[in-house]
Amino acid sequence: LIENKWDNPMQFVLACVSYAVGLGNVWRFPYLCQMHGGGGFLIPYMLMLVLLGVPLFYMELAIGQKMRLGSIGAWRAISPYLGGVGMASVVTSMYLCLYYNVINAWSFWYLFHSFQSILPWAECPVNSNLTGPVEECERATPTQYFFYRETLDISGSIEENGGIHMGQALCLLLAWIIVYLFIIKGVKSTGKVVYFTATFPYLVLIIYLIRGVTLHGSINGVKYMFTPKMEQLAKPTTWINAATQIFFSLGLGFGSLIAFASYNQYNNNFEKQAIIVSMVNSGTSIFASIVTFSIYGFKATFNYESCLERVRLLLLNTFDLAEDTISLENVNHWIAELNRTHPEQFASLGGRLETCDLEAELDTAVEGTGLAFIVYSEAIKNMPVSQLWSVLYFIMLLLLGMGSMLGNVIAVITPLSDLKFISVLSYLVGLVCLFCLLLGLGFTTRSGNYWFTMFNDYGATFSLLFIVLIEVITVCYIYGIKRFEKDVEDMLGHRLNCYWKIMLAGVSPILLIALFIFYIVNYIQGGTPTYQAWNKELGKSVVTEYPPYAQAFIGLLLASSVCCIPLTALYTYCKKRNLASGKRERTVSTVSA
Amino acid sequence: MVSKTLNAPNGYKVRISLKTALGEDAYEWNQSEMFFFQATMAFAMRRHFQMETYNVDNIILCVQTSRVSFWFVVTSPDNTTMLIPKADVEKAVRMSRHRINNAFLLSDRTLEFLGIYPTLAAPVNPDTPPWLIVFGVVIGAVCVGIIALLISSLLQKRRKEKGMTEDGQDEEDMQVKGVENGINLDGTYNRGFTDDDRFTKL
Repeated sequence: LIENKWDNPMQFVLACVSYAVGLGNVWRFPYLCQMHGGGGFLIPYMLMLVLLGVPLFYMELAIGQKMRLGSIGAWRAISPYLGGVGMASVVTSMYLCLYYNVINAWSFWYLFHSFQSILPWAECPVNSNLTGPVEECERATPTQYFFYRETLDISGSIEENGGIHMGQALCLLLAWIIVYLFIIKGVKSTGKVVYFTATFPYLVLIIYLIRGVTLHGSINGVKYMFTPKMEQLAKPTTWINAATQIFFSLGLGFGSLIAFASYNQYNNNFEKQAIIVSMVNSGTSIFASIVTFSIYGFKATFNYESCLERVRLLLLNTFDLAEDTISLENVNHWIAELNRTHPEQFASLGGRLETCDLEAELDTAVEGTGLAFIVYSEAIKNMPVSQLWSVLYFIMLLLLGMGSMLGNVIAVITPLSDLKFISVLSYLVGLVCLFCLLLGLGFTTRSGNYWFTMFNDYGATFSLLFIVLIEVITVCYIYGIKRFEKDVEDMLGHRLNCYWKIMLAGVSPILLIALFIFYIVNYIQGGTPTYQAWNKELGKSVVTEYPPYAQAFIGLLLASSVCCIPLTALYTYCKKRNLASGKRERTVSTVSA
Repeated sequence: MVSKTLNAPNGYKVRISLKTALGEDAYEWNQSEMFFFQATMAFAMRRHFQMETYNVDNIILCVQTSRVSFWFVVTSPDNTTMLIPKADVEKAVRMSRHRINNAFLLSDRTLEFLGIYPTLAAPVNPDTPPWLIVFGVVIGAVCVGIIALLISSLLQKRRKEKGMTEDGQDEEDMQVKGVENGINLDGTYNRGFTDDDRFTKL
C-alpha cells in the first residue's frame, strides 16, 4: 500500500490523538481518580505512563513504520512463528468494532432527541390514565428511565431476548455509514477527517470547562476530586488500575497503531510523536476529569439543595408555619427545634423526612455508560439552555467515539488489504462495515446491553495484556533488541538511548507480567462472573450471575483471540517441517536419478 | 402554629404558597383576601350547579394558620345546617380550577386543595417524532456525501483512462530521503553501505 500514505506527519499525529483520546478519557479516568484518592492518583498514573505507556507506544509505532504492513504481515515479518500475534490483534479489534459503534449509536439517539423544547429525560412521561408519572420512572429517575426504557428497552436479564429496537438499529446503521464514509478512501480520507475529530472535542471540553466552573456548586466537586487521600497509594489496586488505565487508554495491542504507522514515510520522527501523543492523551484525561468533577459538583449540589427544599416544604406543611420562617440554611436547625418542641407530631413524619448529605451525593462515583448517559444528562437538564449543552455534549461524545472507531476499523482493514483478497479498497471497507453492522444489530435487541457489557468487560482486556506481553518479548528477545536498535537507527538517524532500552527490555515486560498475573488471580478469586441487570419493579440495577451458556461465551471470547498465537506458531512449525522434508526428498530423487 | 387534624368529612384543606409563587411581588394574605376566596368558591359552586343562590355566607372557613392554610366547608343555600357533600365540592372546584387559580395569580402547585389532584396535561404526540426528522436529515446528508465521493472517484478513473498513459511510474518509486552526515540526498538510500557493525572485527 505504498501509494496510500498520510499527506503530512501532522495527519498521523492527529489520527493517533483521535484514536487514543476516546471515551475512556472522559468516563473512566475521572472515576479512577475519585476512587483512588483524588489528586494523589496522578502519581501512579504518571509513573506508569513513563514506565509502561510511552515505551510500548514507541515500540508499536516503530514496528508499523519499519514493516509498512498491518499487524498480521508485520509480526509475520518479525518472527514467522509469532505471526499469530497479528492475528490475535485483528480478532480483538474485530470484537471492538462490533460493540464499540453501539455507543456511537446511543450518542446519535441522545443527540437527535436533544432537539425538543423539553429534553425527554428531564421529566417522567405521564401514564396512560393521566393521573401521574409512569411507575417505573417514579421509582427510578427520569434520566435512568429514559436510558433503560426508552433508549434500550432493556429486558430483565440476559436470558430474556426481545426484538430489535428500531430506533437503535437506525442509529447503528447511521454510525456505520459514517464510518464507511470516513474510511472509504483509506488514509486519504481518514487523514482529512482526523483534523476535525481530533480537535473539535477539545473545543467542546473548553466550553464545558468554562460552563462547568461557573455553575453553582461546581467547586464542591473539584475540591472533592483534588483533595489527595494519600493513604490510597498504599493499596496495590491503585497502582494496578493506573497501569491498566494507561495501557488501555493508549490503545496498545489492537494493531491500530501499527496500521497507522505503516502509512508513514520511512524516516518520520515517530520518537517525538510517540511522546507527544502519550502526553496529550494523559493531559486530556486530567482535563476531562476537571470538567467531569465540576459537573458532578453541580449535580450533587443541585440534588442536595432540592432535598433540603423538599424537607423544608414538608416541615412547613406539617407544622403550618409561615413560608419565610424556614429557609434552606436553617432547615437542620429547625428539624432539631421541632423535634424538641413537638415530638409526637415530628414522629408522625416518619420515613418521609429525608436526610440530605452533600458528601453522599458526591460519593456516587459512576463510570462508563452510566456516567456518560445518565449522570451527565441529569446534570445537563438542570442547566439553563439545556438543549444547547446537550447537543454540544453528545457531538463531543460522537467525535471521541468516531475517532476511536476509525482506529479500530483501520486496524482490521490494513492487514486484510495486505492479504489482497479484494483489490478495490472501497469494496473491502464496505464489506467489513456491512458485516460488523449485521452482527452489531444483536446489541440493539432488548438484552443487547447485557451482551455489550460482556464484550466490554471481557472482549479486549485480558487478551490485550497477553498480546502486548508477547509483543514486547518478541521484539526484545526473539527479534533481538540489537536488530530493533539498528532498524530504529535506520529510520530516525540516531540510536536508541538508554531510557528506551531499559524500559522495553526490562521494566515494561516485568510490569506486564505482574498485571497479567493480577488479572488471572482476580478473575479466579472473583467467583462466578456477574452483571448488573435492570429490575423494572424496583427501578434499579440488581447484581445477577451469568447463566452457564453466557459464561461459556465469555471463555470463548477470551480464548479465541489468545489461542491464535500458539495455533499459528504450531502451524508455521509444521509447515516449515514439511517444507524441509520436501526439499530433502527432492535432492534424494535427483541423486538417485 | 400547630394544625389540629380536623374531623371534617365534607371539608377541604386549602394551602396557599404566596412567597413561592410570587416572590417579591407577593401580596399580603389578610381578611379581604379570605373574603375574595369565599366569593370565588361561591362563584365556582354557582357555575357547577347552575343555581344562582350560592352566596359568600355559604362558604365557611376555619383553622387559619400562618402557613396560609385553612379549611372550608360549603353549606347549602336553602338550608344552612346542611353541608354540600365532598364529591360535589370537588367537581365544582375541578370545573373552575383555572379561574380560581387565576383569581389569585397562583397555579395548581401554589394553590393546593388537599385531596383534589390536578389533571395532568395530556402528552403531545406529534405524527413524526422529532428525532426521526433530524435523523433523516443527517443520514440523507451522509448518503449524498458517499455518492458524491464514489462518483468523483469514478470520474477521475475515466479521465485517467481517456488521458495519455505516460504516467505509469507516478508514485511507485517515491524516493526515501536519506540523511547522511547531515546532508539531504535526493537519491535512493543504498543499504549496501550501512555499516552493520560499528566496530570492525579483528
